[in-house]
Amino acid sequence: MLAKVRGRAAYAVIVLLLLLVMLAPFEWFLARYTTLMIFIGLNTMLTVGLCLLMGYTGQVSLGHAAFFGIGAYFSAILSKTYDVNPWLAMGIGAAATGAFAYVISYPIFRLRGNYLAMATLGLGLIIYILFRELGDYTGGPDGMYGIPYLSAGGFVFDTPFKRYFLVWGLCLAMLLISQNIVRSRSGRALRAIHGSEAAAESVGINSAQFKMKIFVLSAVYASLAGSLFVHHLRFVGPQPFGFLASVMVVVMAVVGGLASVWGAIFGAAAIRILSDKVLLEFGELDLIVYGLILMVVMIFLPQGLFVGLKEGYARLRLRYVRREAEP
Amino acid sequence: MTSILETKGLCRAFGGIVALNNVDLAVEAGRITAVIGPNGAGKTTLFNLVAGVYPVDRGEIVFRGTALNNVATHKRTAMGIARTFQNVLLFGNMTALENVMTGQHVRSRYGFFEAAFRLPKSRREEETISLKAMRYLNLVGLGMHAQRNALDLPLGQQKLLTIARALATEPQLLMLDEPGAGLNTLEKRDLSDLVRRIRDMGISVLLVEHDMDLVMGLAEWVVVLDSGQKIAEGTAGEIQRNQRVIAAYLGEEEE
Ligand SMILES: Nc1ncnc2c1ncn2[C@@H]1O[C@H](COP(=O)(O)OP(=O)(O)OP(=O)(O)O)[C@@H](O)[C@H]1O
Ligand SMILES: [Mg+2]
Repeated sequence: MLAKVRGRAAYAVIVLLLLLVMLAPFEWFLARYTTLMIFIGLNTMLTVGLCLLMGYTGQVSLGHAAFFGIGAYFSAILSKTYDVNPWLAMGIGAAATGAFAYVISYPIFRLRGNYLAMATLGLGLIIYILFRELGDYTGGPDGMYGIPYLSAGGFVFDTPFKRYFLVWGLCLAMLLISQNIVRSRSGRALRAIHGSEAAAESVGINSAQFKMKIFVLSAVYASLAGSLFVHHLRFVGPQPFGFLASVMVVVMAVVGGLASVWGAIFGAAAIRILSDKVLLEFGELDLIVYGLILMVVMIFLPQGLFVGLKEGYARLRLRYVRREAEP
Repeated sequence: MTSILETKGLCRAFGGIVALNNVDLAVEAGRITAVIGPNGAGKTTLFNLVAGVYPVDRGEIVFRGTALNNVATHKRTAMGIARTFQNVLLFGNMTALENVMTGQHVRSRYGFFEAAFRLPKSRREEETISLKAMRYLNLVGLGMHAQRNALDLPLGQQKLLTIARALATEPQLLMLDEPGAGLNTLEKRDLSDLVRRIRDMGISVLLVEHDMDLVMGLAEWVVVLDSGQKIAEGTAGEIQRNQRVIAAYLGEEEE
């Protein structure tokens, strides 16, 4: 009974969410927030990748912003400096990020738990420093301006309204793909690795290979988000790819629900709105606020906001249904 | 009789502790073989070496004529070796049915790509996987608990669930590490029946167990390990009369 109501609740929440996403940028609705919503979409792409890696497979990454940055800089440098078609640049960026994630997955997944967290943290820091120090290519701390818009045929994505649909179209595609993966043979393999690596190996799951694959997939998601990010802002600098950015992705994943694909939207939205609309007042103290949020959510809503809401709704419905059934 | 699994001069040490020392073993196909011995005798280590959890220090493991020494764990499962764990190790983040479905991993093919776009191949295979998993769940008598979280089940049923998960890999050799530990008398009798049924399905069973009644009632061949050495082997009757075995167990009780 509860499972059924819960399933229906999840469905209702997702339909509402889709409706909101589709109508948001229209003048009579939430057009004022189109730019914010674009950032939420980009953050959702990062978050869902991390959910697959952390929530489902149980492998921590504290350097995820690095992949976001690699995609961003590939797109910026190729399309601006070398005049490569932006879509092609985006594809090359994603392929390069994937290849990079593939190569480093071998040394990095020899590590587990805290050691893995440390290694990914270090990786994030190194990549961030490279963005700043390779000034000849990246523009260094000042960054690069004048990155072209994406366009298709004669259609140029030159307004936030147009880019909104591009970002959210891709974002929803990623969410759908992620959900399909989670519910498949491969998804079970990932969850099995999370549950017990020894037992997963005993049923014939090649745990090293699955960790590598999901790491690469989440890196590619982040890279695509990074590419869209620079074609939206038409500017790239190192700041959005530092340690704080990686921490924010983790907070988004935790708040949305680590083991919940659709929750990524909630986590990304909650933290993005908080950081853009509220935390500006706090200045450097925002890291403390993120820390607090992380603790509070972990203690009170360990499955995240999305599952929390879902369960709350299911419980309400159940109470309602029971009252109806009473004579 | 042909043996499905053979070990020759198997050695494995952990630091200074010699867990297995020069163990020769032959598991006859289609029969229930038990490995017994006091705590720390090296029984679980034997399973871990056969499953490929650690490499061997010296010696050889041959499964159906193929040397296993350089074969990865997950490939050994594909070759037909399945096991359960002394400490259960179910996937706590899944239902009972999903736990068994993971067992079908090596008997199915479709990967990330087919899953991502829900291609026909993924749906077809997924249907087979859940059908077969349900069959194994029913075989161990847990059909009605398919949708419960694996860790919500009592210990006895958790142990049966691990057997279903191992069976779902469609093995030729099933290694059970203390399946009876923590079960009551009734559950142990059901377990014996189940193990016999598994043997009758043509699966060779290698069983580690401390409960002597269970072992003597089930095993067609018994191997005794003590401090990493094989000290005896024979039929249940022969082992019960073996002076060295009696001494080994008496020695343990005096401790
Ligand atoms: N991974 C390991 N690291 C260190 N020592 C180990 C390891 N595995 C086993 N040992 C040691 O090897 C010896 C044999 O252990 P093993 O677990 O094989 O015994 P067992 O016969 O299964 O005992 P029990 O009946 O208690 O399960 C023990 O002394 C144990 O401490
Ligand atoms: Mg043991």
